[in-house]
Amino acid sequence: MSAVFHWRLQVRPQQLSCLHTSASLESKEWEKKNKKVFPPQLPDEPRRPAEVHHSRRQIKYSKDKMWYLAKMIRGMSVDEAVAQLEFNDKKGARIMKEVILEAQEMAVKHHNVEYKSNLYVAESYSGKGTYLKRIRYHGRGMFGIMDKVNCHYFVKLVEGSPPKTEERTSLDHAKEYVQHLKNRTIIHSL
Amino acid sequence: MNLAALVHSLRCSLLRIESRLLQAAGLDRHLAPALAVNGPSLLPQLQPQDSIMWMAVPKKRRTIEVNRTRRRCDSKLLKVKTNIEPCPECGHLKQKHILCGFCYAKVRKETGQIRYQIQAMEGGPLRAPIEETVVLYDGETAGPQDKDKRIVERPRKRPAWFSS
Repeated sequence: MSAVFHWRLQVRPQQLSCLHTSASLESKEWEKKNKKVFPPQLPDEPRRPAEVHHSRRQIKYSKDKMWYLAKMIRGMSVDEAVAQLEFNDKKGARIMKEVILEAQEMAVKHHNVEYKSNLYVAESYSGKGTYLKRIRYHGRGMFGIMDKVNCHYFVKLVEGSPPKTEERTSLDHAKEYVQHLKNRTIIHSL
Repeated sequence: MNLAALVHSLRCSLLRIESRLLQAAGLDRHLAPALAVNGPSLLPQLQPQDSIMWMAVPKKRRTIEVNRTRRRCDSKLLKVKTNIEPCPECGHLKQKHILCGFCYAKVRKETGQIRYQIQAMEGGPLRAPIEETVVLYDGETAGPQDKDKRIVERPRKRPAWFSS
């Protein structure tokens, strides 16, 4: 059904400052993560793998549609991820591939990564960018508010081979649940 | 097959017989009077054609958890393609049942150049000759088999993928 909305979208400028308490609209926290410097490692510590954080802001695409692509490439090596994105028909796939290739180049040039194929996608997710609101005209004088969406895309590449996730079947889940039920006992009993 | 209908009709007739017997005995007490006339009552309001009273409408707001489980269920997630392999000619990636994009682009570029030259030779539309066309590159001459054919000269080395 067509929706009728109250036209209460005018936000006064003095209201904007109190809308976000922690982060403002243009926070670049993800980019700052690349500048973090760790203390030198002790000789007996395991070697910390190199990490690259990269993002692209205000992509003209929906964050929900971008999420499906981000979910697909989570945990893949960069070569696999780039191959999958190259043959995916979505608009966000082309943009995501560019971002990952940029991040790979950055890793090799500035972040002391030896082999560009020795990277995997540790984190990848989409976030909401700024939305512009427009009127969408319906029949009988009704109107709706259309959102012109933008999204951000964040990716973190880590050096090394991708970690193997153990495949758990539904039977394993069921067995674990039954075992959990069997382990229950009465506490503070005689 | 019609056992249920038969049983139902039997039951109806039994009930009717029972009520008739009770009526005759005078033991049943109808709560309504013997004679009842339907008096004037408010006719139901005729719904106008465009009323929204009988539209299917959600009863409750769907929570974000319910929405997320529907949007992120296994059938809606993207499938990983297993048919990607490197092209043996150029090394770029290609799908098994589709031509390599890079090789196709390079062939298209060269055929575009040949077509441009043919266009210059013909000088206008609908002037294609009846004879076959043969493309010759640098350092190649027309052989005996190219006697009655139109020759298109390309001023470059023959590409490796274009066999003569």
